[in-house]
Amino acid sequence: MRGRAGKRRADNVRGGVCAGKHIMRIWLLSDYNHKKHLAFKSMLSRFSVAFPEAEAEFSVKSRRSMWESLFAHLRDPKRNPLADVMEIPQNWTELFSRLGLLAELASKVEPLARRRYPDFILKELCRHDEARAFSAPWWLEAPALFFRPGALEGVCGEPGRELASWEGFRSALDKVSAGVKKRGFRALASPYSSGAIGTADVLPRVWGRRGGLFSDDFNRATFTREETAGGIEDWLELAVSGKIELFSPDRFENGPFPVEQCAFIISSRKLPGQNSRKAAPQSRAARSGQRCAKTGARAARGGAGEFKVLPYPGCSEGGGLALVYNLAVSASSADISGAAAFVSWAMEPENLGPFTESFGVFPCFKASFEELLNGDREAGAYRKIFSAPELMPNIMAYPTAELLLERALWNLSLKIVRRDYDREDLTRELIMAQGEADYLLSLY
Amino acid sequence: MKKTAENSYGAAAGQAFDGGRDAFLQAALEAVSARFMLDGASFYEYDEKNALLRLRLRQASGVAFEHEENLRPAPGSAAARALESMQPASASSPGGRFLYCAFKFDCCDPSGGKNAVTCSGLIRLERSARRRRFSAAEAARADAFLRSFLRDYYRAEYFSLTRKYDKNVSAITELTEVFATALRVRDSFRHILAGIQTYFGFDRVRLYLIDEKNQKLKGELSADIRGQIKSISYEEIPLEAGAHRFADIVLGRSSGAFMERYKDCVLYMPLSVQGVTIGLLIVDNLLSQQRIEPQELAMLKSFGGQIALAVDNARLFDKVEELSLYDELTKLPLRRYFNQRFQEEFYRAERFKQPLALVWADVDHFKEINDTYGHQIGDVALREVGRVILANLRKIDFPCRYGGDEIVILLPQATGAEALRLAQRLSAEISELRIAVPFSKTRELRLTLSIGVSTFPQDAAAIETMLEKADDALYWVKSHGRGKIALYSDLPPANGDKAKPAPDMAQELKTSAAGGDNDAGEK
Repeated sequence: MRGRAGKRRADNVRGGVCAGKHIMRIWLLSDYNHKKHLAFKSMLSRFSVAFPEAEAEFSVKSRRSMWESLFAHLRDPKRNPLADVMEIPQNWTELFSRLGLLAELASKVEPLARRRYPDFILKELCRHDEARAFSAPWWLEAPALFFRPGALEGVCGEPGRELASWEGFRSALDKVSAGVKKRGFRALASPYSSGAIGTADVLPRVWGRRGGLFSDDFNRATFTREETAGGIEDWLELAVSGKIELFSPDRFENGPFPVEQCAFIISSRKLPGQNSRKAAPQSRAARSGQRCAKTGARAARGGAGEFKVLPYPGCSEGGGLALVYNLAVSASSADISGAAAFVSWAMEPENLGPFTESFGVFPCFKASFEELLNGDREAGAYRKIFSAPELMPNIMAYPTAELLLERALWNLSLKIVRRDYDREDLTRELIMAQGEADYLLSLY
Repeated sequence: MKKTAENSYGAAAGQAFDGGRDAFLQAALEAVSARFMLDGASFYEYDEKNALLRLRLRQASGVAFEHEENLRPAPGSAAARALESMQPASASSPGGRFLYCAFKFDCCDPSGGKNAVTCSGLIRLERSARRRRFSAAEAARADAFLRSFLRDYYRAEYFSLTRKYDKNVSAITELTEVFATALRVRDSFRHILAGIQTYFGFDRVRLYLIDEKNQKLKGELSADIRGQIKSISYEEIPLEAGAHRFADIVLGRSSGAFMERYKDCVLYMPLSVQGVTIGLLIVDNLLSQQRIEPQELAMLKSFGGQIALAVDNARLFDKVEELSLYDELTKLPLRRYFNQRFQEEFYRAERFKQPLALVWADVDHFKEINDTYGHQIGDVALREVGRVILANLRKIDFPCRYGGDEIVILLPQATGAEALRLAQRLSAEISELRIAVPFSKTRELRLTLSIGVSTFPQDAAAIETMLEKADDALYWVKSHGRGKIALYSDLPPANGDKAKPAPDMAQELKTSAAGGDNDAGEK
């Protein structure tokens, strides 16, 4: 049954998407969890059933490929058309709206107009103009520490207290590693890493140390500041000491989750099997995806339910990093209102819920977010995680600064694997990256 | 089934050639998945230097997706064996059944290098653990199928390169034309930057030119990724070693490690003509952090000489124009330019019924100055007179070195009285000038002006007449002792003579000045 609002939105979709038989193209960001793609496919099937006249197709792009496609469009719009709807990291909005690529949505997408998002999301939606918004927050995730209580017996008496700090976590990690000699056992897994150390790995720890890539007034880059460099170093140290494996052959052979049991997992997604008590019925596609995906089976080995969740070490009092992904409509779309109507439709709780549930993330829509937070089996931990989360600043130079850091981390990852990494390498890489970021700030 | 799969692959591959490399890969993975009933297929490129497999595209459950993943095959694993032997290798694990088909071939350097580059990688075919293993026969068939696809992949790469070369050839042709036709500074710099952006599409292009006189590198224009061009004239960099990175580059100093880091996404191109650096062109992809292809760098560098010539030509053109319109010594416009402006101003005065005054001045005894003190001193005297005149005029006034020591000044919207006031001020300031003459007894030279003034509509109704009347007034002053000012309409009527002695001009000037209501020459 569709309510009045739904009916109105349906009319918008019919009037927009179908006018002139425009086929709406959607670009989705790729994900380590294949279930996201399948869930979106399923969502689009439901969209087609609800609006048979509307034609839509989607393709999945890596973050780098999405970035390149957006710049390729700027360079040659005719040869490189954009999709009508694009999923982008929340902090790309300022950059690409200022470059003129994104359509204004506040007047077209109801949740945006009524600001139906948690305050911490609204804060970074549009820094300079509260009345306008060039993308609509869609889903979010926050890095957390998962631990298997069984593996910590005799190591950690009060995980909630002892694993609250990074030092406590490191100490427990050492003890667990030393205590288990089982072949293939890894004390720590970071299943959503790309192989090398990336910004997504280090930034949660940087945030935990109250560091960041720019000063609070965004007048200078702070890559080399003690809190930032220290946060990065903390994560690098995990790789140097062999606690996490870079470019992991095991990962290539067996997928993101380790074959053998592990004691800790750092993940910004809920683990498969850890969905909320009030989980919405899963779509057929999502269920079939689960059957296919190896990851779920692996993580569940020993029971995913065996895992408990805690805030990211060092962020036990909140203030950790949350990653938000938005839907944006291309300013060059032939049917902006139709694309915006799709965005509105995708935000509806009945459509958003199954999608976010399928790959273990949270919806941004405030009512759905709060409902899921309260209904979660690990509600206490997630309430702490989301007590005062921070988003990456939505400023023009930030996405490029992330790329600069990413490049530095790639160089360092290779050095670590070749075993010729030295602390000086980190300092040098960060000085270089900071210089470039400062220069960038002076230009943009 | 077999026939269908092959057909669908062929059709998809054919279409995908036009859709680019990624579309081609996607079509191929879909085809191989259908042909061998796979649950998934992944295309990896192999980075031999770092021994890493880079996931390029994956296809699973009917969805193709790009993904960023760099992993290393375990030594002795099926993937490692396949890469080593270039033979298909299969493996089974609780995660599923896998078949690895490695490939390796030489292809043209996509970044434009002269030598062929080796392209190698791996395609992983996947089935879930519940399904059957890949048999040896099936592995051989899959490998053969993929090898045929890779031949097409090579072709796709080749076509993509050919398209790129075609684009470059057209860029060379059209940009050469842009650079060759760029003449006037204001327009040509815009054309040059717009041309570069049209064909290369950098995040930003900036042009700086050397200001030799002030030893500075001055910003001219900047074009952004959308082709929007704006002035950066506010940017001025002292041309001193160590003052700024740009200055160091122009001065040929070492760029250091920082520059090495930048080299993939920034090109600093000093612009030189006949061995002399005239400016700096900077193109960058700093915002996008995208690599500038070596081929693009090489092409832009090859254009460097042409761009420098175009920039220099434009500057020379402006310089030549300036020389043809302005007197280099006094910095006053020349007679040809004056005649053009006089016509325009006269027409405007006629049409809008506005007054127009003409001042004709002559440096007294200038020939004697040249003969006595030499032309160098004469030049200094004229330069000083020019400076005083330019410093005392309104923006709408138009002076001119009419010839030798004769200077004419056009004063739009000025009456006779206002023109007299200006003439008086000029005369006073010039009489205060002291031209140093080291080898003379007096050590200095003083100057005076004789000035005649005519006005429209009182004195003349045509350009020629106006000039004639001003000349008459000047003649009258010269024939009455020099160093004075005469307004034609104030001259006494002549009886067969050109002019008669006038009443006390100084007294008359005072009267005129007191009754004036408009300050011609007041800046």
